[in-house]
Amino acid sequence: MAELTPDAVVSKVKRGEKIDRADLSGIILSNAVLEGASFRRCDMVGANLEGARLRNANLKSANLCEAFLSGADLRDANLDNADLEGANLQKTLLTGANLSRANLEGANLQGANLAGARLSHAQLDLANLGGADCTGAVLTHADLGECYLGGVKMMKGELTNANLSDSNLEDADFTEAVLADAQLRSVKARGLKLVGAILTKVDLTKANLSGADLTNADLRNATLTDAKLEGANLTGAKVFGILAKGAVFTGIKADWLDNSPNGDGSVRVVANQILAVLSGQVPARPADDRSANRRYFGRGDVLRNASLQFDEGATVEIESLFEQCTIALGRGTELIVGSDGVLHGCQITGAGNITINGKFFDKPEGKKNPAGIVGAHQLVVTASGALVGAVQQAPELTRFAFEPGCQLRMKISTASGVDASTRSKNDSRNDGTNKSAKR
Amino acid sequence: MNELKNPGATEKRTLVEEGTTFKGSLTSTCPILVKGTINGDLEAPSLTVAATGSVSGKVKAGELKSEGELSGEFDVDKVVLSGSVKDNTVIRAKALEVKLSVTGSKMQVVFGEVQLDIGDMPSREKAEPVKTAENGKSVPPPAESA
Repeated sequence: MAELTPDAVVSKVKRGEKIDRADLSGIILSNAVLEGASFRRCDMVGANLEGARLRNANLKSANLCEAFLSGADLRDANLDNADLEGANLQKTLLTGANLSRANLEGANLQGANLAGARLSHAQLDLANLGGADCTGAVLTHADLGECYLGGVKMMKGELTNANLSDSNLEDADFTEAVLADAQLRSVKARGLKLVGAILTKVDLTKANLSGADLTNADLRNATLTDAKLEGANLTGAKVFGILAKGAVFTGIKADWLDNSPNGDGSVRVVANQILAVLSGQVPARPADDRSANRRYFGRGDVLRNASLQFDEGATVEIESLFEQCTIALGRGTELIVGSDGVLHGCQITGAGNITINGKFFDKPEGKKNPAGIVGAHQLVVTASGALVGAVQQAPELTRFAFEPGCQLRMKISTASGVDASTRSKNDSRNDGTNKSAKR
Repeated sequence: MNELKNPGATEKRTLVEEGTTFKGSLTSTCPILVKGTINGDLEAPSLTVAATGSVSGKVKAGELKSEGELSGEFDVDKVVLSGSVKDNTVIRAKALEVKLSVTGSKMQVVFGEVQLDIGDMPSREKAEPVKTAENGKSVPPPAESA
């Protein structure tokens, strides 16, 4: 039984008096104006505060178990260490509120606005946050086990070391959220957006991430054992050191992956290597594997009139200026022209994989020179890359990729005697499509 | 050629359906979707060529997305390409996107004899020479953290 009547509470608040440590259990203060009030350590078990205006109120260590706070305005309120177990906070405004160490076990926060709220070390297990807005909220070390987080907006949320195991995150948006070292074992996360999210060392064992968007996510050293990623988008994801034994990657979308230890894009995995890397068939440290056969030409170096030959399996990175050089690549050799690399009047031949982040200019026009790039297996010009010159494709045709932002003045030709259209139709048949038949 | 409302979108667009061949000049203020064949000049805010479609001729468009067959001269702002680009084709654009195919040996895009003029003309500025390395001699890569 409350020791104060609702009117007495409102009067005290109007006078600016503190109501700390009072017994207000079961009190009805719905729609009351209580902005800036101090209810520190009050017993407010089962209180009805529906629609109450509690902006900037101090509810530190208050007992609000089973309280009804639906639609209340608790913006910037201090709920540090408050007990809100089983409380109803549906559509409550909690923007900027301090809920650090609060107990929200089993609380209903459906549709609540928690943007920018602080929930470090908060206890949220079994809570319902369906559709809540947690943009920019801080939930480091929070316990969100078996939570319902369907459709939650967690963009740029800070969840380092948080526990989300067994939670439902379907169709939630965790774009650019930080989940480093977090526990997400057995989460149901179909359609979850994790674009650009930091997931380093995250535990996603047995997680269902089917159809999830992990574009540019940082999954370095993450555990994905027995996880399901059917149809997930992993383009640009950083995957160095992931453990994915038993994981399902059927139908994933990935134009490329970043397998560099530092997540700096220096080791790109493309096309048919992707599944092999994810499934562990290819060691997750190709940079190290190739280190014995790696050549690096550093910034500031100048090479002129050189003839270079790199055998199969080598990785060559050029950040230097090459002039009038001839480079022969063995099959599968990786040649990366770094963002500071410039190749002037050079020719690259052979069935290597060429990535141009810098600049490539073949010999000036009008001199009847052969093509600057001849017979490459794969040619990628990234957003920072530029290519001026002629490219003669390999007999089996070159695989091309161009990123928006690249600069090209490029003439592509086919190897003499090869008809690209015929080749295209044959490829289509081999791939089981009936594209050529339709035409 | 039919002027249809796309059932999946609220925006109207011009559709050249599969099995339809259009010859001549086509100018439209709404986006064009080609599932059939166009031979001739074409001008539109955006042009989408489906996998079954082909466009041959002079094209001016804001955006070009093709999974079909292209040949001729294309002046556009942005191009997203897959499918095939036939011989004697010129593509001029501010931005081009071609992705590497993930699945097996399938080519994302097959180029014939093609000219690509994309973005600004790259400047020929050279890297600042600091020191000269011996021909062919390589230096170790920068240290990588484990």
